Amino acid sequence: MNREQMYEDYLKGTHRLGRLVSVLTLIMLVGAPFLIGGILGAMPDMGAAARGFLAAGLVWTASSVVEYLVYTPMLGAGGSYLAFITGNLINMKIPCAMNARELAGVKTGTAENEVISTLSIAVSSLVTIAVLALGVVLMIPLQPVLQSPVLQPAFDCVVPALFGAMAYRYYRRDVRLALIPLAVMTVLFVLVPSLTASTSMMIIPSGAIAIGLSYLAWRRGQKEA
Amino acid sequence: MSVLSQLNRPELYLICGGIILFIAIVCVVFIVRAWRMGKRLGMDVTKMKRAVTASATFSVLPSVGILLGVLALSGSLGTPWPWLRLSVIGALHYETQVADAAAEQIGIKLSADQMTVQAFSTIALLMSVCIMWGMILAAIFNPRYTKKLQGKGNGSGKPGFGDRAMVAMFIGMVSAYIGSYIGGFVSGGGRFTFAGSWLPLAVAVVSAAVMALLSWLSEKKNMKWLDNFSIAVSMLCGMAAAVLIG
Repeated sequence: MNREQMYEDYLKGTHRLGRLVSVLTLIMLVGAPFLIGGILGAMPDMGAAARGFLAAGLVWTASSVVEYLVYTPMLGAGGSYLAFITGNLINMKIPCAMNARELAGVKTGTAENEVISTLSIAVSSLVTIAVLALGVVLMIPLQPVLQSPVLQPAFDCVVPALFGAMAYRYYRRDVRLALIPLAVMTVLFVLVPSLTASTSMMIIPSGAIAIGLSYLAWRRGQKEA
Repeated sequence: MSVLSQLNRPELYLICGGIILFIAIVCVVFIVRAWRMGKRLGMDVTKMKRAVTASATFSVLPSVGILLGVLALSGSLGTPWPWLRLSVIGALHYETQVADAAAEQIGIKLSADQMTVQAFSTIALLMSVCIMWGMILAAIFNPRYTKKLQGKGNGSGKPGFGDRAMVAMFIGMVSAYIGSYIGGFVSGGGRFTFAGSWLPLAVAVVSAAVMALLSWLSEKKNMKWLDNFSIAVSMLCGMAAAVLIG
């Protein structure tokens, strides 16, 4: 069997498995509140759930569609099934997969990227599951340490700590490209401070500016070559 | 029996733990398949091991942060449900916001004092429903969407726009966050007052500086092994700075 055929078969198997697991997870996650409600003797209030969905759900639905379209190319087939099941995309799975890809030196859209991305996201998910399981077991003795006011600022700053490190890594790849989206975002957040409450939504225009500029530079390079 | 005691009943641990175990097994299956495929493709095993080690070390610190989220939500929703949500699908900012919005629709605040069993099961349902779309889209469109993407770059080895687009996307993402930290400092306490919190910006700067130092050691001092820990160590130093500054 040649390499292409072998990889095609692997991808077909990944899609079969990924779809099956996604459907099963969905059934379990939506079914669990009803099962728990049955055990505790109080089923969900469907009217309140519907109103809640209109209030909060529509925003997350739109955000999920954008996340799916933007992140799937970074994650590959296996990686995207796992990432959308296990969550924590922006704060962990995406940078984790990008880091692994960088270390392995593989390119987007290749078989090697598919393998590395799947390994990275599956391992990352297992680590989270293990840490949380251990934490839940140790929750009572750990609680005073982890919730101590002294450590609180550290855990409140996980995201800035992550993006500081990622900024160095990615800005140095193309400093000139970084300047414009950073300047535009800074001006926007300075002029409209309330936008800080929806920083994750601002990734979309910021990413669009960076991709647009990168595309123009790439086209210019293609023409000159 | 208080509501919180009911929400921490052993049956709930069993239900949530069972779902988490199922996902853990799925992850192991994906690892085994990908590892075997990598070997069959002739990939360098050292590189694959490096990706695994780096991903594991990278994930420890954010996972501890996520664990704190479980602690934070367990005060109003009990421990098993936040444990499930944050182990498997959610993210703290999402879970907290949706739980709060759901509680608002029920007419209560997200706190143990006001929680009822029915409010809990409604909140739990809404938390599940609001964030299931990524999974549904992946199940429906992944075969076609990934094939389309794969066809654009598979195996040619030529530097196409795909890789540049990913770097650009990341630059855009980082810029949104760094811009928000600068904006928060400059205008967070009133436009151009420079009275907002500078802690996130300071943490990002420390983290970036440590990353720069580690990259320099890796590239100039031939300490390649540091790459496996560079992001985790940079984050840890940034977070430590938050304790010192904050």
